[in-house]
Amino acid sequence: MIVSHITLKNWRNFQSVDVDLGNRVFLVGPNASGKSNFLDVFRFLRDITNPGGGLQKAISDRGGIPKIRCLAARRESDVEIEVSLAETATKETSWRYAIGIEQEGHGHRNTYLTYEQVWEGNQQILNRPDNADEKDRLRLTQTNLEQISLNQPFRDISNFFDSVQYLHLVPQLVRYPHAFPGPGIPGDPYGQNFLERVARTRKDTRQARLRKIEEALRVAVPHLKQLTDIKDKSGIPHLEATYKHWRPKGAKQREDQFSDGTLRLIGLLWALLDGDSLLLLEEPELSLNSGIVSKLPALMHQLQRQKRSRQRRQVILSTHSADLLSDEGIGGEEVLILSPSAEGTGVKVASSIREIRDLLEGGLSIADAVLPRTVRQMELGAFK
Amino acid sequence: MSLSIPINLAVEDDLSEAVLTKMLPARYDVGVCYKKGGFGYLKKKIRGFNDASNSMPFLVLTDLDMGECAPVLIEEWLPVPVHHNLLFRVTVREVESWVLADHDRFAKFLGIRKTLVPVNVDTIDDPKEYLINLARGSRSRDLREDIVPAKGSTAKQGPGYNDRLVSFVREFWDPCEAMRNSPSLARTIRAVENFQPEWDH
Repeated sequence: MIVSHITLKNWRNFQSVDVDLGNRVFLVGPNASGKSNFLDVFRFLRDITNPGGGLQKAISDRGGIPKIRCLAARRESDVEIEVSLAETATKETSWRYAIGIEQEGHGHRNTYLTYEQVWEGNQQILNRPDNADEKDRLRLTQTNLEQISLNQPFRDISNFFDSVQYLHLVPQLVRYPHAFPGPGIPGDPYGQNFLERVARTRKDTRQARLRKIEEALRVAVPHLKQLTDIKDKSGIPHLEATYKHWRPKGAKQREDQFSDGTLRLIGLLWALLDGDSLLLLEEPELSLNSGIVSKLPALMHQLQRQKRSRQRRQVILSTHSADLLSDEGIGGEEVLILSPSAEGTGVKVASSIREIRDLLEGGLSIADAVLPRTVRQMELGAFK
Repeated sequence: MSLSIPINLAVEDDLSEAVLTKMLPARYDVGVCYKKGGFGYLKKKIRGFNDASNSMPFLVLTDLDMGECAPVLIEEWLPVPVHHNLLFRVTVREVESWVLADHDRFAKFLGIRKTLVPVNVDTIDDPKEYLINLARGSRSRDLREDIVPAKGSTAKQGPGYNDRLVSFVREFWDPCEAMRNSPSLARTIRAVENFQPEWDH
């Protein structure tokens, strides 16, 4: 399943968003335009459905409604999220889920749902607040989505949100997970437990994936061979590879000796191979050589194809990379442009902007047609 | 037996690089490939490549596209004398026509009848569009999805276009077969076969 459409009201720096989404979505915009905040909507929905999560936790993890609500929002406005889910990009919507959230204006300043609605196809199957909610307002502090006893009629939605993956792998965290103690972040977005996740995967699946990754790395990091996972004497999982040099046997290297680029590429490829639900990627181009970055869109397209179902896995990513967006196979309909203004950030599909459409028709790549609109100059005068 | 000839390439895209690499006889030893998306970069840097040919031979390949003819393009890009070690070649009209020129293998690759590919590929006005239209008739859904842009997309090629064609060229494409159907490819292959670098001493 994919998220085929999203509307937002007062979510972080967006006052109002209303866009279609396809199999691949490229988010572009200047720094601080809200690319990560856009991705965060999907993580928020995941945090609601996650075991041990829920609406109240998802909100408090983000610092409460005042942090979530758009600063440009007018008074008395709630935060609203509505997503449509479809089997594939070309199919009709199969589910629609919508919530509104607000904070009490006085008293304990608790957070309540203003509504929660679910449609299966065109038929509405949930419409809160209902009678029970009117009688007991406390019920509105929780969504039906997060409750197994209540979400059975739309379990598909909660399963979908629950399996959303987000990756913004930080090589230092992979190398030194024990240097950053603490409870960890839900969903492990920065890869602190990446090695454990690899180790927990079923043996044949894990080996097949590592083989595939080694194959893909052959061009990027040619001296790296035989990528495997091992456990050291204390049971801590590691990645190991043979580093080929002039000695016939080469030398073994572990992840703490891998370069940033190698680790990020391994993490990225693993994430692409892992699962079939929505994958969110934050600037996948980081630390990678331009020759590899320019191949990422095609690589994603290739790995999105699911073997069994013939459906495609959805990938939404943020990027600043001209190399990545130079791929002529990226269509304007796959690109969302985020443009900040006094009324919050606006989000538009690139091909819906006439001027960009004309440039693309004229043979310009997305990098040429779109990126100049996102460039901001920094004044260096202050540093003189 | 002659010594191997070191050479740098300068091309518009991955597909051109794959074609040149496959086409070069074994006595060539390819160093660096200069490529930054499109002909603009080549046109801007061609004088630099020409100067650098003093110390290292260069093979530059660009598409004629809708230009008049190759000599006019070369004259316009490089109004100074072309260095002996600079092989400046032009495809008529795009490198895709050279790919199509190996009829049999290309038809087999797509799973289409080979009579659908014209005999002299240099006469096709827009070879890339032609190639994509041929791919629409392919029996393989994966190939179609990779090469042909999605319906309603502004993209001019499918998301796996480069990948698919580059791997076709690497694995199957036969330049000797292809040169029979493309005079511009034949001229390039002969130029490369007869080339002997001249070194300043």
